[in-house]
Amino acid sequence: MDARERAIDDAAVVRRMAAGSEAALEVLYDRYASSIFAAAYRLTSDRGIAEEVVQETFLAMWNRAETFDPAAGSLAAWLHAIARNRTIDRLRAAGRRPTLVAVSSAAAPDEDPTATLERLVASGSIVGAANPSPGPEQAIDTAGMHDAIAAALATMPDTERTVILLAYQEELSQVEIADRLGWPLGTVKTRTRRALQRLREVLGAEFGPGAGLDVVPVPAGEDR
Amino acid sequence: MDHDAVREQLELAAVEPGGLERLMAGDTATAQAVAAHLAGCPSCSAELARLGRAAALVREAVREVPPSDLKARTLAAVRAEGVLRPLVATVPGGPAEAPVPTAPVPTAPHDATRPPAATVVPVGPRRLSRAQIAGWVGTIAAAVVLSIVTTSYVVGSRVDDQLAAQGETIAALEEVTTATLAVTAEPDAERVALDGVSDPSLDGSLVFSPTTAELVVVASGLTEPPAGQEYRCWVEVDGQRQRVGRMFFSDDLAYWVGPVPAVAGLTGPATFGVSLVEAAVPATATDPVLLGEL
Repeated sequence: MDARERAIDDAAVVRRMAAGSEAALEVLYDRYASSIFAAAYRLTSDRGIAEEVVQETFLAMWNRAETFDPAAGSLAAWLHAIARNRTIDRLRAAGRRPTLVAVSSAAAPDEDPTATLERLVASGSIVGAANPSPGPEQAIDTAGMHDAIAAALATMPDTERTVILLAYQEELSQVEIADRLGWPLGTVKTRTRRALQRLREVLGAEFGPGAGLDVVPVPAGEDR
Repeated sequence: MDHDAVREQLELAAVEPGGLERLMAGDTATAQAVAAHLAGCPSCSAELARLGRAAALVREAVREVPPSDLKARTLAAVRAEGVLRPLVATVPGGPAEAPVPTAPVPTAPHDATRPPAATVVPVGPRRLSRAQIAGWVGTIAAAVVLSIVTTSYVVGSRVDDQLAAQGETIAALEEVTTATLAVTAEPDAERVALDGVSDPSLDGSLVFSPTTAELVVVASGLTEPPAGQEYRCWVEVDGQRQRVGRMFFSDDLAYWVGPVPAVAGLTGPATFGVSLVEAAVPATATDPVLLGEL
């Protein structure tokens, strides 16, 4: 589905939601909650705030569905504008400033970079900036990498996804994961290694496991 | 230690909090063996570098994945706080709404091994809107009408019994309606959605006022308990569970109405639950079937 088809479909789903369809609300949640959560997290580095922003954004969408005008912009941009305002409100209430982020990372799906920049400027809280001297890692499209990881997580077996998320999200050790899940430690280790292997494979050669034992180090500066 | 053993150690360390740093510190026999191997093995050293970069990237990306229970909490918040819209195909047994295609999204196993997230966490101000009050009363009124209509269509000779049952139903619903209107008239009235703990077909709502301590709870999906048992309502504040009362049943509606001293002046977190218990046993420690956060 291209951007235009998605916009048309979004508008139709919003109309169904405005008619009272919770199924339509769930569809829109599935489409946009992850990107909204990620954007809020990038601004705040606070998962709790990001969760609240997601809830408030979808509540606002439900309450104000009739005010969404597909001719004025995409649903993604509309939702991200709501989410960003909610995020800024939360940060202001807490006396904090947004975390410095790249403009590219604040873009909504299918949103033109110029539109992203204008939206951020209009919000009065633009914080995006390019690194003046990006290193090899920074030169990589981080958002694209994150999307690839998210996609890989979505398709990997539940058991493997669980151990990875517990490890990286809740910062649990292998022993703690085994205890939490009631799995043998060896099982946790096996699943963890397999999951990490899957994720590294989607990240490309620079991050992936060596093809063999004769892999040589990549000289600094020659990374892509 | 050979290549495979070293790489296994590296991979496992990469998903431990600070694992690679600890491994490189070399303060265990295993870490020293790994360090000794790395010192003479360019390919494993390169693997360590790639693994370190990958682990950092995955950690960063995973932190941006919303928890798995956020969807349920968001939908519950919309139900509890959102404007009322004509519900489409949410009535059990009703005509199914045409499915809306969607794609799966990755979510974290926030509660992978914990008890199900049975409580609702509404967001924003919980003051009841006029629409919500109207919706609450409307739901009850609809139940009254449905009860009367249903009963009226029963053909048989036991007219007196039917009328008696109908009268009881109307009286019960009138009690719920009257109490609900009284509670929602209070400026600090709050509404809380209740979710089934292990049975998603169970749900309910309650309204209460910390000022008057009056509370009204209604639930759907519950059936009358077996003889000798009851659905007991309780409130848990600061870890102390206090008995509130037992659910009454009228047709498909389960309800309880009355004062709850535990919610008087309530400002902190509290939990409301309904548990199936032996009627003769005063304890309330049984696992709940319905839960909600006050």
